[in-house]
Amino acid sequence: MAEEPVPVQSLKEDGITVALTYKTLNARAIMDEVRSPKAGAIVLFAGTTRDNFDSKPVLHLAYDSSPPLALQTMLNIARSMKSKHSLTAISIIHRLGVVSIGEESILIAVSAPHRQAAWKGGEDALEDVKEKVEIWKLEEFGGEEGGVWRANRDGAVGEKVMDGYNGKNTG
Amino acid sequence: MPSKPPAGHFRLLYFASATSFTRKSSDELPAPLPITDLFRLLEKRYPGMEKAVLSSSAITVNLNYIDIEEASEGDEPMVIQEGDEVAIIPPVSSG
Repeated sequence: MAEEPVPVQSLKEDGITVALTYKTLNARAIMDEVRSPKAGAIVLFAGTTRDNFDSKPVLHLAYDSSPPLALQTMLNIARSMKSKHSLTAISIIHRLGVVSIGEESILIAVSAPHRQAAWKGGEDALEDVKEKVEIWKLEEFGGEEGGVWRANRDGAVGEKVMDGYNGKNTG
Repeated sequence: MPSKPPAGHFRLLYFASATSFTRKSSDELPAPLPITDLFRLLEKRYPGMEKAVLSSSAITVNLNYIDIEEASEGDEPMVIQEGDEVAIIPPVSSG
């Protein structure tokens, strides 16, 4: 996308923060967002970028997004998780642009009075985010292979990006 | 978002595989356009796009998802209007 990188775009409401950023993610900051004297547990999930796909080396990943759609979907998921698991607070942040291998691309922090709800809420939120949020991952393999747009659905390989595009990559 | 599309046009946004296929982040296309004609028009401009990208993608109009089959039912299918912002949404892959 040719969109100008903006530092952080976010939506906030009571006990909920969702955000997109081009900057390095900060685990401590997102934990502090959900920290509360009413909560006895904070669960933090950090998704980091892998150096391979099916044992093929990946140079780096890049994330594309429709920010207005992605933020709204993240907000809807956060609202639904907060109510379903009676969470005290939930915060979801996803990184965009190029992310180096081993760095965090997503952080989800949830707080709840007790640990079971926090564990479940965190896991449930991540699965929903991966299924629905309008963000796309490009795995850059380098060389002739080039980049491949991943699709979370059905473990699909997605579409190859290259010169002389010739349709589906059967991978 | 960039400025409004020119008079008599709507803006079509591409993401991920749609960007790679068209080598663009957006197009400005003449409006009004029945939504049922959108894929045909794109396939004409970008041969092979329907199979490679569109068949697995969703569509939004002004940030709302449109069910193409539902939108084409009845006597008056949904029509994309001047100034609308339409987006092709390939299968997502966050995380």
